[in-house]
Amino acid sequence: MITIDGQYYDGRQPIAVPARLEFAGREAILTAGQVSGRYTTDRLNVSPCSGNADRFIAIPDGGQFQCPDHEIMGSLPQTSPSEGLVAWLEARWGVALSGVVIVACVLLAGYFYGLPIAAERIADRIPLETERAVGRQALAWLDEQKWFQPTNLDKATQQSIKDGFDGLLSDLPLKDHYQLELRSSKAMSANAFALPGGTIVITDDMVKAADSPEEVQAVLAHEIGHVELRHVMRSVLQNSAVAVAVAAVTADAASLSVAIAGLPVMLAQAKYSREFEAAADEYAFQLLKQKGYSPAAFASLMERIAAKHGDDERAFSYVSTHPVTEERVKRARDAAKK
Amino acid sequence: MDDTPDYSKYTLDQLQDVYDHIDRDKYPYRFNLVRYEIEKRKADPSLEAAVSARAANEAGDKANQRELTLRFLGSPSEYFRIWIVNLCLTLLTLGIFSAWAKVRKKHYFYSHTTLDGTPFQYLGQPIPILKGRVIAAIAFVTYYASSRFFTNLLPYVFAAGAVFAPWVLVRSAAFNARYSAFRNMTFHFDGRYPDALRALYMWGIIPAFALGVVFNWWGKIAIAGGAALAFGIAFPWWIKRIKDFLIGHTSFGTRNGVFSAKGGQFFYVYFRSGLIMAGVMIVAGLFTTALVSTIVKRTQILVLLFLVPMYAGYVLAYAYAQARSSNLVWNHTRLGPLRFRSTLSGWGMAKLYVSNALAIVASLGLLIPWAVMRTLKYRADHMQVLQEGELAEFQGSDMSAVAATGAETVDFFDMDISL
Repeated sequence: MITIDGQYYDGRQPIAVPARLEFAGREAILTAGQVSGRYTTDRLNVSPCSGNADRFIAIPDGGQFQCPDHEIMGSLPQTSPSEGLVAWLEARWGVALSGVVIVACVLLAGYFYGLPIAAERIADRIPLETERAVGRQALAWLDEQKWFQPTNLDKATQQSIKDGFDGLLSDLPLKDHYQLELRSSKAMSANAFALPGGTIVITDDMVKAADSPEEVQAVLAHEIGHVELRHVMRSVLQNSAVAVAVAAVTADAASLSVAIAGLPVMLAQAKYSREFEAAADEYAFQLLKQKGYSPAAFASLMERIAAKHGDDERAFSYVSTHPVTEERVKRARDAAKK
Repeated sequence: MDDTPDYSKYTLDQLQDVYDHIDRDKYPYRFNLVRYEIEKRKADPSLEAAVSARAANEAGDKANQRELTLRFLGSPSEYFRIWIVNLCLTLLTLGIFSAWAKVRKKHYFYSHTTLDGTPFQYLGQPIPILKGRVIAAIAFVTYYASSRFFTNLLPYVFAAGAVFAPWVLVRSAAFNARYSAFRNMTFHFDGRYPDALRALYMWGIIPAFALGVVFNWWGKIAIAGGAALAFGIAFPWWIKRIKDFLIGHTSFGTRNGVFSAKGGQFFYVYFRSGLIMAGVMIVAGLFTTALVSTIVKRTQILVLLFLVPMYAGYVLAYAYAQARSSNLVWNHTRLGPLRFRSTLSGWGMAKLYVSNALAIVASLGLLIPWAVMRTLKYRADHMQVLQEGELAEFQGSDMSAVAATGAETVDFFDMDISL
């Protein structure tokens, strides 16, 4: 006979009554103050095990008996049997340590291989048109908020940039979607970027920073690379997947530590961004050579712009959204030599 | 400072005692007061009867009041195993297991929180939680896609969200109450959709905000800014109404919660929190600038260093608002014979948040379970439950019995959306 001491709750009042449950063969005998009862054990129901917590046994009279965990509980009917297996796993350090290894492998493999590949495949199936409205709105907003002013370049320069741009586009799969926008901007100085949907913006300062039309072509080729490789859509997919994964892992910590998820998400997304920049560079070098230009123009322009800023980029290489200039320049020169 | 005792509350015996022992030269005024009070009592015996009855009552109340010990007994090493096993299964099932994981974790939190020696019970089932998560995921993807790609649909998405939000609030509160139990009695939430609608959309500020989106008032900055400002000022009263709604409709046995805090008290908390944020940012920002501009010339480093005071100000203000609003809510909540006393401090919470963050980052996340455990313990340690009267006031029924919440009774609309 097994005797377990605990408390009994009748469900009518939240008051603990000292109680005793005795197991004799297939019968359980409950005594709790005025209450007593004799039940076959298959009519009892045990709450799931959780660490070393007390367990609750539902008694057929509607009451509950609370007592420390005991090995006999395993042989009684369970409230949620499926939790038993998880509880078994949770109780073992060996399982927990393998869990650490598996989680690390899944996260790293997903981050380095799974996610970029999946995002590329999915982006290929989504037409570029879906992005167009967003790109237009973004440009309208930038114009409206005075980030941009109309270009001050003379007509001849404008025309030569447009001609050069069209020349680069001639054989591209997405060539009908492009739109080149010239703007002057005090806030952004020398800059060029690809908006969603194939709109490419280049600032007057960038054009002026270039020593030759070839250097302007090099910048445009880089932005074309972003569009052709669908970097907007891929970064949306990859970044949101990273955010969801980080949220899943840090869900417990979210409420107890301010903005804890922000840092890993930022670092992870910055790495993807640097990879996209490097990929756009490579694309640009190929395109330039194909059109008879030298990637060395890209290198000389990058160097000139970097010399103006003079910041030490290396210290920030892990948080930066762009690769270190020195490396980009070196790769451009290597591409020019081949 | 006048600290003259209020002799009108003393009994005749106490007054006589003061009369006999008081230093007449040092306190002539008090001596006169006592003599006057004694004469008054002797002239009118009913006055003395009232005073002694009240004194007896107060003494009785004190004896009748007792503290129910609240403890959190979770262990970091035990919870670490639960956390990693469930996280692993969640990742391997692409998130589907997360509903089961939530049940397991809640089980652990509830069963390791004891009140007066009895652990709480979590009775939630995974399927309603999974349903809630699927709905939340669909809502999020819809919102995200429309905000990025189909912006013309955004107003309709907002409108749908506004219609569904009260429903989500009601269902989640009902789920959490119904599947939380103490001593074989479940909690109950009886708030309905119209009540939630009134609580959430008070004075029409939020609907006005939503209409602003639908009819594209966003271009008109004055309207958008005005709505945002009005909402910012009304925010404390809004929070008060939501707490009032949630607590007032939650019952245990036959007793409903009663919430007595005022919106102004919330305003005071958030206002001070805002002052803390502004103060820390300005002082620390000036200090950093002075320090940095003399040593460092590079602008990028300057920008990064500016993040430190910004973050410090944010953490302190957030911790203060969390601690004080939590205190405010609990200290103004009554449940039958139970009162609560929450004594969280903003500074203590800030230290907890920062040390948690550092530990989690340094351990690459492996100390998350440890941080969870110490935070729950900290909160339990700063909470007192006081009982004034009999626990038997809570009358259970067949509805509130734990046995009535078995898996087979889970109804179709049961769901838990809180992530």
